[in-house]
Amino acid sequence: MSSDRLAWSSFSYIVTNLARFVRPDEVTFSGVNSTPPMLACLMAKRAYNFDFVYLNVAGGVQPRPSKIPISSSDPVLAEGSTAIFTNEDFYDLCTRGGMDLCFLGAAQVDGRGCTNVSSIGDWHRPKVRLPGGGGGAVMLPTARRAVTWRTEHSTRTLVETLDFVTAAGGMHGVVTPIAVFVKRHDRLALQSWHPDVTLDTVSERTGFSFDATDAGPTSLPTARELAALRSLDPDGQFEHDAQLQ
Amino acid sequence: MPIDPSPKVVPLGKLAARVPDGASLALGGSFLHRSPNAFVRELIRQQKRHLDIIKQSAGYDLDILCRAGCVAKARAGIVAMEGNFGLAPWYRRAVEQQQIELEEHACMTLTAGLRAAAFGVPFQPVGGVHGSDLARLNKWVSITDPYGSGQDVWVVPAIRPDIAVIHVNEANELGDGRVYGTYNWDRIMSRAAKRVFLVAERMVSVRSFQDRPELTLIPSFMVEGVSVVPHGAWPGSCWPLYEVDYPAVEDYLSPQKALETHLTDAPETKEHVLV
Repeated sequence: MSSDRLAWSSFSYIVTNLARFVRPDEVTFSGVNSTPPMLACLMAKRAYNFDFVYLNVAGGVQPRPSKIPISSSDPVLAEGSTAIFTNEDFYDLCTRGGMDLCFLGAAQVDGRGCTNVSSIGDWHRPKVRLPGGGGGAVMLPTARRAVTWRTEHSTRTLVETLDFVTAAGGMHGVVTPIAVFVKRHDRLALQSWHPDVTLDTVSERTGFSFDATDAGPTSLPTARELAALRSLDPDGQFEHDAQLQ
Repeated sequence: MPIDPSPKVVPLGKLAARVPDGASLALGGSFLHRSPNAFVRELIRQQKRHLDIIKQSAGYDLDILCRAGCVAKARAGIVAMEGNFGLAPWYRRAVEQQQIELEEHACMTLTAGLRAAAFGVPFQPVGGVHGSDLARLNKWVSITDPYGSGQDVWVVPAIRPDIAVIHVNEANELGDGRVYGTYNWDRIMSRAAKRVFLVAERMVSVRSFQDRPELTLIPSFMVEGVSVVPHGAWPGSCWPLYEVDYPAVEDYLSPQKALETHLTDAPETKEHVLV
């Protein structure tokens, strides 16, 4: 198994680089339809020498779930909590400025870090009706930092112009199977890329222009990061379900 | 069986029969968790039409109602099967083929509308939304703080569902209901709606509610009727009683599987339920 070596799989690259956005003592949230951020938050608890306040959409407050669920809104994610912090609670916390890091989903992301989770094509006559942004339009402009991920890095997911702006305000970070972007001067800039690909590949597969100053290959996973992820996915089921190459 | 002591406790079929065609229904729970799915399936069996479904994070419930042709309109923040199942296919098709009207929200803008209704005011400010095309789409209005902070805030008109349908862990014969684990959006739904229906996993004594009244989510005076349906959130979960039945969800999504067969597989048709 590739995850037993000091190297990246696409899956471990996404989860681990999401986890690397977690900072000490901050309030950090993972939501619905968000398996990679759920794993990243649980992984950060196990891999890093600091604590943070982990909240999730199942009402969990510093939970200690007895198992890792397939659904990232499964009530097991509140197991071991000393409180239930319900949906209205965590949204209100976010809009009043108390959410430090919020993981949000996206179908398309543009160079400013705005997202489309609504429709491909015209909203009124969509080619594809997407799930909708859930918390995005409220949380992306109000969270202190928001981070998203895409399992596909292509010119149709990372675009110059969104078909519809579901949520504005701009992502702080975006993780794909081959790259990590971070906001710089209100634009997404390349922070690092997967060591098995080139900067040219990242550019070719990205629909928006970006600054790559100071970017380099992503540092390899640490032994603790690998061990933490393996402990969350011992049978490789999540990696298998993610269907990444 | 003793004769039902309470006029509030009614069989599922009778409770669902009270929903008129064209009603707006707020459905409790979230995605595959503690959604009133037995009630939803009963609406399909009774061939309800032109329903307006209101739910921040809908999934199987809205999807199967679209599949059965019961829906005219949906007001939602996000609609998906979740887990590994991705998009909700029959909902997606209904929107793409313009068979239903979609009022797309962020979860919290829908909640702001419900809050306005619950508070008895015509509209409600909501944080965020700045820069989102949803505001233009829904013709929401931004107002400047009348108290002079200079801040602009989006306001959402009241959303007052005809009926909120909430799946609870426990109810009593008076109609009080309580939920274990997160209650998601159910509290505000129950306060915003004109009428409240409960579906309960089980009945417990009034005394047990009197012992811990602070655990009651929905007080009986607000509740019009309650039905008892064990496993009624199937194929979803009801914490801590049972988990998502993933094979059943997969089966539901299989194009080969007829809707009628899925409805026949449902627990409310098998267990001792007063349908």
